[in-house]
Amino acid sequence: MQTLALVVVVALALGFDFVNGFHDAANSIATVVSTRVLSPRFAVAWAAFFNFIAFFVFGTHVANTIANDVVDQSVISIGLIFAALVGAIAWNLITFFLGLPTSSSHALIGGMAGAAVAKAGFGVLVWEGLRTIAVFIVLAPLAGLAASFVLMVIVMWSVHRSKKVEPLNRGFRRMQLVSAGAYSLGHGANDAQKTMGVILALLIATGELGKNAEVPFWVVLSCHAAIALGTLTGGWRIVKTMGSKLTRIKPVGGVCAESAAAAMLFFTSAQGIPVSTTHTITGGIVGVGASQRLAAVRWGVAQRVVWAWVFTIPGAAVMAAASYGILQLF
Amino acid sequence: MDRRALFFLGAAFVCLVLTPLTPTDLRWFALVLAGVYLVLAAASALDNRSRRRQPPRR
Repeated sequence: MQTLALVVVVALALGFDFVNGFHDAANSIATVVSTRVLSPRFAVAWAAFFNFIAFFVFGTHVANTIANDVVDQSVISIGLIFAALVGAIAWNLITFFLGLPTSSSHALIGGMAGAAVAKAGFGVLVWEGLRTIAVFIVLAPLAGLAASFVLMVIVMWSVHRSKKVEPLNRGFRRMQLVSAGAYSLGHGANDAQKTMGVILALLIATGELGKNAEVPFWVVLSCHAAIALGTLTGGWRIVKTMGSKLTRIKPVGGVCAESAAAAMLFFTSAQGIPVSTTHTITGGIVGVGASQRLAAVRWGVAQRVVWAWVFTIPGAAVMAAASYGILQLF
Repeated sequence: MDRRALFFLGAAFVCLVLTPLTPTDLRWFALVLAGVYLVLAAASALDNRSRRRQPPRR
């Protein structure tokens, strides 16, 4: 019976990864598609490839953080992870239909925290880990914004005397392939590992793996496959919000936004900090808009995005706690 | 002061407020980010001022 429940919850975790794919992974290709550097189909394949090879570059630090530093391992059970995933998936679907680029990562963390609190109270939360995650909810987009602003100013300063506008534009369009690849690498390093972390926690809690076990390779492969399939399936509502509603992006802006976001994701992945790839690329895009003039950023849209961020962890937590409560009735 | 400089000042303030909450080994990151935003705020204010002083182009 436990094996069947374990299989069901692992399948649900992969389902979450799939939803994460069409909700979050689209961000990595939003600027490439909106500047028409790549067709959506090729952009998806490009992103999926770099998502996958990220495992070989960055290891599994983020997965270990999710498994160990969100809630006390002793409280994790199949029912708790099930409720956490249901809460996170429900929140992701609601924000997806509203076209809001919220973070699947924070929905997952909120879901785990909410279900754990419903099960055993606030004492089981790992406050140190949660505090680091909360601080980087704010610092990650701010760092993405500052880095893309500075990059944009440097690039504009170095090319502003050039009269060859068309060749320059072509050059930046080609460079976007590199920056989108780098961003997808960072995205894979940080985002695809979160579901791995949940499955790792589940396998440790059920005794399938030892306490300090590494992520099994089959988990890595299946998580990457699920997120890539999700990316192939949807996410265009959010691509539209990210690529055109927030501010108009040109190839040079795409290069700067993606490079800045990629650098931020490389740094946080190396540190094992689960940040939102959505937040980071949004910061990068706003930085590009602000380098032209502050009015180039559509602050009404940005404000909606910020409110969705603020409510993600508590929203997913409440849904996961309710799911855990319902589960206890059966 | 222009709105962009104010925005950067606000961002620097947020980074400084978050510094004590950041894990000790990563505090330098919040501090450096606050410093970058302060420089950007000053540069943006100067840029705005120099634009206002320029005579209108004919």
